[in-house]
Amino acid sequence: MKSAWLAPWSPTASDPLDARKAAHLLRRAGFGASPIEVDRALKDGLEATVERLFDEADDESKEFARTFESIAGTLVDFSDIGELRGWWAYRMVKTRVPLREKLALMWHGHFATSVDKVENSELMHRQIETLRRLAWGNFRDLVRAIARDPAMIVYLDGESNTKAHPNENFGRELMELFTCGIGHYSEDDVKSAARAFTGWHREGVEFVFKADEHDDSRKRFLGKTGKFDGGDIIDILMQHPETPRRIATKMLRFFAHPDPSPEVIEEATALFVRTRLDVKWFLRDLFQSQYFFSKDCYRSRISSPAEYVIGTVRTLGVRWAGTQVAEQLSNSGQALFAPPNVKGWDGETRWINSNSLASRASTASQLAFFEDDGPWSANYDLGALVDSSISEPSEVVDRLTQILFQGDLSDSTRKDLAELAVTPSSGSSPQGFREDPTIRSGQTRRLIHLLLTMPEYQAC
Amino acid sequence: MPTTRRTFLTQGAAGLSFVSLGGSMPGLFARVAEASVDSDANDHVLVVLELAGGNDGLNTVVPFEDPLYYKNRKRLSLPKDEVQKLTNLVGLHPMMGPLAGLFKEGELAIVQGVGYPKPDRSHFRSMEIWHTASVESLAPSTGWIGRCLDSVETSGDQAPRAMALTSSTPQALVAEHQVFPVVAQLDTFNPEEDARLESGQIRRRLMTGPEASGSLGFLRRQSNAVYKMADQLKLATERYKTGMEYPESALGAQLKRAAQIIAGRMGIRVLFASQDGYDTHANQLESHARLLGELASGLAAFRKDLTAQGLADQVVVMVFSEFGRRVDENASLGTDHGAASNLFLLGRKVKGGLVGKYPSLGELGEGDLIYNTDFRSVYATLLDQWLGCPSEKTLGQKFPTLGLVQS
Repeated sequence: MKSAWLAPWSPTASDPLDARKAAHLLRRAGFGASPIEVDRALKDGLEATVERLFDEADDESKEFARTFESIAGTLVDFSDIGELRGWWAYRMVKTRVPLREKLALMWHGHFATSVDKVENSELMHRQIETLRRLAWGNFRDLVRAIARDPAMIVYLDGESNTKAHPNENFGRELMELFTCGIGHYSEDDVKSAARAFTGWHREGVEFVFKADEHDDSRKRFLGKTGKFDGGDIIDILMQHPETPRRIATKMLRFFAHPDPSPEVIEEATALFVRTRLDVKWFLRDLFQSQYFFSKDCYRSRISSPAEYVIGTVRTLGVRWAGTQVAEQLSNSGQALFAPPNVKGWDGETRWINSNSLASRASTASQLAFFEDDGPWSANYDLGALVDSSISEPSEVVDRLTQILFQGDLSDSTRKDLAELAVTPSSGSSPQGFREDPTIRSGQTRRLIHLLLTMPEYQAC
Repeated sequence: MPTTRRTFLTQGAAGLSFVSLGGSMPGLFARVAEASVDSDANDHVLVVLELAGGNDGLNTVVPFEDPLYYKNRKRLSLPKDEVQKLTNLVGLHPMMGPLAGLFKEGELAIVQGVGYPKPDRSHFRSMEIWHTASVESLAPSTGWIGRCLDSVETSGDQAPRAMALTSSTPQALVAEHQVFPVVAQLDTFNPEEDARLESGQIRRRLMTGPEASGSLGFLRRQSNAVYKMADQLKLATERYKTGMEYPESALGAQLKRAAQIIAGRMGIRVLFASQDGYDTHANQLESHARLLGELASGLAAFRKDLTAQGLADQVVVMVFSEFGRRVDENASLGTDHGAASNLFLLGRKVKGGLVGKYPSLGELGEGDLIYNTDFRSVYATLLDQWLGCPSEKTLGQKFPTLGLVQS
């Protein structure tokens, strides 16, 4: 019998939704997994937890949204890229619905647009609001919206695309990167697409259709003929069989596994087609599938800087200024609103190199050790994470391992960590650790730093 | 070996004095001293220094006899008697005395009108063109130095062939098959404990771990590599012992670091540094003078340091900017983005002098200077003749090379 990878997984007594599986779901659908979130998931069960990923109706969420918008209105200058970055990072840290931000981040990389070229932070703000709004909607709506997005129009030279002098940049990327992918269209199709989008310009922060710049003549595109305009091109591309395959594969890679097998890709493509390109339906099924909870997918990915920094901040309950969080992301290779090129961020192994590992170590250091209570420093409640009454090094290690790994670290690793916590060269000792709260809290911070820097922690 | 002996003899006083100290230095340094007399492509280093913002070439290399210079810059033109004269037609900005000295010694080559076709006046785009060495609308994601070094054979244990002294990786160093480190960040990665202590060993074990498959295996290998690199860098900078005074500036610090790394003999080939602040749209005179003064004194200290370490023959410095600035001054006592500018090459092995023509101030392109040397010719020259990398492969096409370096 052919096994269906995306068939639903039903937790049973012998194969329950345990802390590790719950944290896996939370990490992938959001950023990190705090003990409170994990406990709630275990209490509510898989189905309710997945539903809640999409739920913004509860009082907490509404209150947060209200507060957040009022801050945005008064304290944030959206024309300043630093503040815009800080604002979004702050939202990612505080939100009750991290999936929306996570998807917005995925689409931001997919429809890559950089403030370095656009040079207008306000336009970037509006683009991300569009991506956030349509994050788990229909893929067709996303493409339609991005084709009219002023930041995208600037980024891919839409304003230079006129009837007299068509500019192929957007037409090409629309197919090569945003929909069906390279190898499924010809250069003539690129020319036709470019002509169809002529006149799709912007004025200030608004989209504007300049009819006198638009080529409304007959065009031939992917075997069809007609007086196509941009909307028609998008419709035709949504019908292209490669489009759902590419997007389904992208979502698999982003949420499930960095290198899914052809069989899984086929199933996911069929699913996405069945949903008529509905992202929410697709993800709801993926997040409850046997594949998603298989050993293959568990901790199979490498965390992006956003997952690393924001995940850690959320898991440990760190209070840190949004602008500081955003800076950590930039230092680690994921500057918000500035993907390196049209292909966005390559991700996975490309996140990890000498620079980014050094940056993560630096983030871990600032997170773990900062005693300074200044407004820009990271701050968290150590006592809330590890009760001060826990005085055995091995027990402290166990507690931290539970928070950060749901206990998933080898015995020998835990033993090494417990030994490090009492080494004289770091001002500690077995007795000092047990009896002196100052030594204990200092060593606990050191352990947190180590855990955050270890290779195991870079996996997601 | 004949080559060795000849280079040894031609190195002059600096080389001799370095080697003559061999007897009193620890074995490591003596080995290093032997290595220094072997001059071939393997030892050549290129330091790429980017002047970020668009350096005003016209006030850097000044055509002090051209009436159009004074006519177009009634307030920004530099007084003729203060210009550091190189020939009877051009001179350097008053603050660049040390470089005028180098020019007289034949160690400074100035490519007078460098640029590329269809000049782009956007910082982002023009920098991308210089870094990727491509004028195509869809720029490659790799940089010219990255592509060059990707084609160089490197064993697994070899320290990285390029490093950035800036705070983040420049696009020029982006390669397909390797990642070049940013030195400032490597410093933060140094293990807090001494590897000789038992706790250091435990820590090392935690950070590198046993072999594993999949993502974890990859992560452990990477972590291991970073540790080794940080160790190598630490060791290299410990070998560097000099009392050389560098100017107190961000650039001075980068150049000092460059000297440390080169002296560490890690097999480095390219170092990338950057000096920011050249986007002088307003009140240019003071800021430009400060920047060029920093530049000149930094480069002078660097040259002095390399000479003292017997490394002067091995290093060429290339100084470039993403574009020059407009001939006309603007209403804010500054200048706006332009096109062609000049490029400097410094080093004992550089064939000093003026290269190419000084762009005409009378025949402009959209108000800007027109280039007569494509920057990719400079790259091709350095790739083929200094770094031993195939320029046609790296740049995607053949560019005529110039007589800029002695082999």
